[in-house]
Amino acid sequence: MSVITRILDKNVVKQLPKRAAAYYSNKPNIEEDIGEFRVLYLKTSKAQAFTKKKYQKPEVLPPRSNEMPVDQNWGNVWPGPRTFHPATVPLPLRQGYVSKGSPPDKYANAELMKIPNFLHLTPPVIERQCAALKKFCTPWPKALSNDELCEKHFPFEVISSNYCHSSPSIRDPMARIVTIKFKLNDLKFDEKSRDKYLRLVGDRYNSETGYVTIVTDRCPTQKQNYDYAMYLVTALYHESWNVEAWEELKTEADMEKYIWENNESKKSVEKLFGKNSEDIAESKQYANAVINFMNEGESDYTLANYGDSVRILLGLPAKTNVL
Amino acid sequence: MNTIANVLRNRSNLKLNLTQITRLSSNVSEEKIVIPKAIPRGPTDILRALESTVSRDPTATHYKYHDDPFLIPMSNMGKRTFAMAQEAGRKAAYWVREQHPDLFQHQEADPPIKPFFPKMVYSEDEVTEDTLKHVIDEVLIPDAKKIYKLMIEKGMEISKETQQALLDLLCFYNNEDTLSEEFIEERWFRNSAKEKVRKTWADGSLAEEIFISIENPDAAAYSAIIQGMAKHYQVNRAWQLFEEAQGKGLEVNTSTYNSIIRVTSFMKESYDLRWSFVNDILSLMNKAKTKPNLGTLNACLEIVSTMGQSKTAKSYALKLLKEFKSLGIEPSLASWYHVLMTYCKERGPVSTILNDILPHIENKEHTIRDIKDTFFFVTAMDICRNHLHDKDLAQRVNKLLHFGNNYNLIGDSYKESIYYRHYFIVLCETEPLDEFMENIYNKLVPHIYVPEPGVIAEVLKNIDMNSAVEYLPKIWSDMLIFDHTGRENLLNMVMNIMINHKPDESSELNDKFSKIAWGIWSKIENQNENRIQKLAFTGEMLGNIMIMVLRNNDFEKAFEVMQKLDKGMHSVVGVPKLDALSMFMDHCIKEKLPTTAIQCIQYLTDSGFPEAEDFAIRLNKSLTLDETHLGRLGKIVGEQFLQKKM
Repeated sequence: MSVITRILDKNVVKQLPKRAAAYYSNKPNIEEDIGEFRVLYLKTSKAQAFTKKKYQKPEVLPPRSNEMPVDQNWGNVWPGPRTFHPATVPLPLRQGYVSKGSPPDKYANAELMKIPNFLHLTPPVIERQCAALKKFCTPWPKALSNDELCEKHFPFEVISSNYCHSSPSIRDPMARIVTIKFKLNDLKFDEKSRDKYLRLVGDRYNSETGYVTIVTDRCPTQKQNYDYAMYLVTALYHESWNVEAWEELKTEADMEKYIWENNESKKSVEKLFGKNSEDIAESKQYANAVINFMNEGESDYTLANYGDSVRILLGLPAKTNVL
Repeated sequence: MNTIANVLRNRSNLKLNLTQITRLSSNVSEEKIVIPKAIPRGPTDILRALESTVSRDPTATHYKYHDDPFLIPMSNMGKRTFAMAQEAGRKAAYWVREQHPDLFQHQEADPPIKPFFPKMVYSEDEVTEDTLKHVIDEVLIPDAKKIYKLMIEKGMEISKETQQALLDLLCFYNNEDTLSEEFIEERWFRNSAKEKVRKTWADGSLAEEIFISIENPDAAAYSAIIQGMAKHYQVNRAWQLFEEAQGKGLEVNTSTYNSIIRVTSFMKESYDLRWSFVNDILSLMNKAKTKPNLGTLNACLEIVSTMGQSKTAKSYALKLLKEFKSLGIEPSLASWYHVLMTYCKERGPVSTILNDILPHIENKEHTIRDIKDTFFFVTAMDICRNHLHDKDLAQRVNKLLHFGNNYNLIGDSYKESIYYRHYFIVLCETEPLDEFMENIYNKLVPHIYVPEPGVIAEVLKNIDMNSAVEYLPKIWSDMLIFDHTGRENLLNMVMNIMINHKPDESSELNDKFSKIAWGIWSKIENQNENRIQKLAFTGEMLGNIMIMVLRNNDFEKAFEVMQKLDKGMHSVVGVPKLDALSMFMDHCIKEKLPTTAIQCIQYLTDSGFPEAEDFAIRLNKSLTLDETHLGRLGKIVGEQFLQKKM
């Protein structure tokens, strides 16, 4: 046992001078203990002094923006979208707010890193990229020189989006959505079918712009949604021309507005004159007055209008202002 | 953050391709609408077109490294370490996935990426010929071997085509697994030049077993095994099998002839025998009506290039080129490489054949057609430097390298750095220094090329010759960054340049030089304790440092150096030049520090300078010394100096 200790003792003292001594024997006066046996202190005291390894600062390159020539090609330096980096951007940028003094400069400035930048899309770069992409482009058809012609020959507008991520998947659920827009007036309707169509599309029709907008997103792929949208357009159109048997049962009471031709007023005029209403010269304005009166409701204006038209129809003198 | 990088909004509001519902009422008289057909393009064509607008930025590192001053590798060692560290991470990921395939059941990628799938494990019940075929197509050699063995054990029938495909695979790769194509960095940094030419063919391997198991092997089987053996330098057996095939009257393919030609020098010793052997093989090809190809030309030229400096070799090379040209075979860069090797021998006469070769290949985009195509550029630049010393030619070769995608033919990192070393030195030797520094050094260093210590020495030599000391601070800071400061010869060169080219008193170079000198001081002073080859101060070096700091009137630092000289007399080899000490003395007098001056005189006497007395006299003349100082001086140089003053 003592032999081993002695060997240990020797080795420890010789080979592990400071560090090891600091670990195992921490009593301030080590010399005191060095008799035949050294005391092994397992508990470390806080006062113990470590010889800390001197930290050597590694050599770091100066920011490369320092060596950039003024006439460099910026597109080569910043070819794609990336987070702002102060050592690469040779601009004296400042961003952020401090209560006193100027805004912080670009080094270690999280504000500059947070915001998206468009340093990769400078005008010369866009110009160059357009020139490179030109070989994939075909000339614009001459016959479609302006927007009206385009709209006339291609009344359908199809809107879909593609998304480009840097992720393992190239799919994006938003890409499936297809929007179709067209002017209602581009479809051929009679009054009844138009009315029915509007009822079918509901709020998809914007009466201010005259556009019908159909958005499909229920199928998983863009193509399926497009096909479905096209099916909807077709089905809606033909459905609005369909006349169901029960539609014939619509009576005067079911009408949503007053139509002079279907009503007693026409019959009585014809009876009164003994000829068809088309042959009566003044019947038109009378009919309009009745329609207005019935559809817009009773008001001074419609009432007066109605009175005047009756006078004209019957050839009575115009109303004089009699008090 | 890998979030949405870009949203491409594809608003086809011009309503072109998708719908063509025209109004029924459109007028017929109108101009006819002609919509041109879309120009066909591949899935990556747009990306390639965009990529073509971006070229190399000389202020940036290669894009595989992070663009951040703290993470940019600064030396050749650093470049390698950083890239290989990334590769190691990739390998660790592969390893983890292989160890725990159960943890990677999820599929992130869509469409799925095949290399990310867990590795297949084959068992006896599942193997079929189709799996074997699949594995061969995917170049999974260990799997192919395993499946083949399983199939043999089960006594399954294997069709002839599959067997041949497996034989081809095993012969090509010598029965060994290859380095995956995923590990491009390892491929890039692998030192291909160290691969020795020696027999590596695995004798008695599965390939041979398969070959033996084939009854009446046909020409294809013979071709495969002969090529495999020749490729891996099992020359004798390759030749034996070749003769066997010839004896059976089988028509082996062109590549087999080529591989036999390529190993000619292992079979025939003398140059004449080699040539006649090549001729024999070629006539055999002729007899078998096998059409030679580029491989044949390159194999023949390679043999010719091993035939020493004789004139006949050169004429053979030209003859071959002419012959193959008439066959309509365009030589590749490898052919020109072999021609260069034939003409430009290290100890042979100077040949300007490169001048004649360049017009054939200049302003053209080259693709790899022979594995040795990658040797051309490095060899051509070597010849520009060592053989011809021609900067114009070097520039032409460099221009060709940077034409189109020709840079792909640089080979690997090793070849690239040798290429730039030659390019650098030939221009350093021939171009005016100013132009060299501006056009070459500042553009290539450090991101494209990190000069080796030898190249830096060359540049320093040039600076010394041209007295262009204004470049020294830049070179010094580069040396610091490239970690060349551990080389004593370079440090001495820098010191000597600074000593020999003294700037004007007012020049700001004094300050910079003083900083450089102090940089050298602190580099040696604060060396890593664990370094094996430690740098040691020499007296001369310390003297030079002293001169440099004193030129900048930095007495404190000079004093520190003096202390080092004085205290470290045993560790410092040699003594400084007298100039340095004399200058120190002057500054002591200027600063009115007699004690320090006396210390200096003490050092002079201790080091055995006879001038100590002169110094003492000078000190006594310039400053009024008190009794104690005089007493100490007297002790050092003897009392008689006081008389001399009189």
